Amino acid sequence: MIRLGNVLVSPGEGGVYGERTLDGYRVWDPYRSKLAALYTLGGGLDLTPGMRVLYLGAANGTTVSHVADYVETVYAVEFAPRPMQDLLEVARRRKNIVPIMADANRPEEYAPFMEAVDLVYQDVAQPNQVEIAEQNLAFLKPGGHLILMLKTRSVDVRRDPEEVFAEARAGLEQHLDVVDVRWLEPYHHDHAAIVCVSSIY
Amino acid sequence: MLQRYWFGDVDEQGCRAAGTDPAALALRAATLRTGMESYVPIDWEIARDCGVVRTRAEYVDLLRSVCTTLAREKIARSYQARDVELLQMVRMLDELDNVINLLQERAAEWYQVTNPSFSRKYRSLPARKMLDLIRRGARGGLLDVSGEIERLTGTRSRLMREVSARADEVLPNTSALIGGLVAARLLSRAGGLSALARMPGSTIQVLGSERALFSHLRGGTPPPKHGIIFQHRRVHNAPREVRGRVARVLAAKLAIAARLDYYRGEAVPEFLNAAQARIDEAGVTA
Repeated sequence: MIRLGNVLVSPGEGGVYGERTLDGYRVWDPYRSKLAALYTLGGGLDLTPGMRVLYLGAANGTTVSHVADYVETVYAVEFAPRPMQDLLEVARRRKNIVPIMADANRPEEYAPFMEAVDLVYQDVAQPNQVEIAEQNLAFLKPGGHLILMLKTRSVDVRRDPEEVFAEARAGLEQHLDVVDVRWLEPYHHDHAAIVCVSSIY
Repeated sequence: MLQRYWFGDVDEQGCRAAGTDPAALALRAATLRTGMESYVPIDWEIARDCGVVRTRAEYVDLLRSVCTTLAREKIARSYQARDVELLQMVRMLDELDNVINLLQERAAEWYQVTNPSFSRKYRSLPARKMLDLIRRGARGGLLDVSGEIERLTGTRSRLMREVSARADEVLPNTSALIGGLVAARLLSRAGGLSALARMPGSTIQVLGSERALFSHLRGGTPPPKHGIIFQHRRVHNAPREVRGRVARVLAAKLAIAARLDYYRGEAVPEFLNAAQARIDEAGVTA
């Protein structure tokens, strides 16, 4: 990952969502992007130029644009029409983003477009986040990684975030090895980043 | 095992390409149904060996245009700029109100001159009654104008019903809390659903009372308790001492509702029931 001093940046054409630029690099703000928060906190898995990424919950494409600056191809899945319009605009200017309008709950909808990927990144505000991750493991290469941004408040606002997290972790460990866990304080509240790796058969 | 991919069908015998025209590929891809049990992700080199593309760059490019086409079609189907049109509808409605009021006032002034018995006390009549009175007594230009006002009033009420129905569809959660018309006005003042969905409750609470708000911020005057949301009976019927609280709670729930409308686009009964209960609770005087 590229850092200028302490500032996380990504290479690429600026002006995607009004982000600042620094020495020709695009500043990747940890307060806006959960993935940037994870990297700023010293966690995560470095994005490399050869990577293919499945991005679930692409929303307006702000974080997607930074990921696309680092990797070879991003499959960006988003369900809601309005954010999708913004995402299409981002994808128009970044030739390595494949915008897919589909529900991450229903991988069969976009399976005909998917290659095997090195990284599944998931940031969806759904109560069944772990279940969604499990369903999308079909696209993960052996030895590939999953980064799940667990929004504990989306699972259940009334429950203790730690408790929600423990349950999610147990669910993931049935299929994957959890290699890193980080709460995204102070950038995002009640969000845990869970980095997992799939075993190589 | 047969795999049906966006660029063609692949099985043990080989690959049957579906052509290279993005529009035709999108049309075909929209009908594909895949079971996940025996699914194998695409190896892009099959598409190359199949003769669909020559390079990796070409593969991604073609896939991008197929997916973009599909996404555009889905977007168009799912809302067809319905909130953008709603914005214009509600602004037209407010403009009609303005025009009708202006014309009505002017007509009353005119009528008063031709008919001295039409004195001040009539001015406090409901607009509709006053207009009827003028129409009965007036002649010539004034009669024409009052006819126009009448027609505009009819246009206004039809448009109002249309706005309300459209708001129920575009803003199902917000409308359920505060009624279609007021929801549409909030949307209009915010400048669009995406803008409204990004607003905090405290901003929604005072939308439409910008003058009072800024006069407060400059110092000296009390802060506004409510803006557009005052138009909802829950706020203006609330006893004075709890009105601020009702407005605040309602606005907080509206902020959530607007986000649901933006990101989900359908009514969420669990949220609505809980929110209604919470708002009712805020209106109870101690």
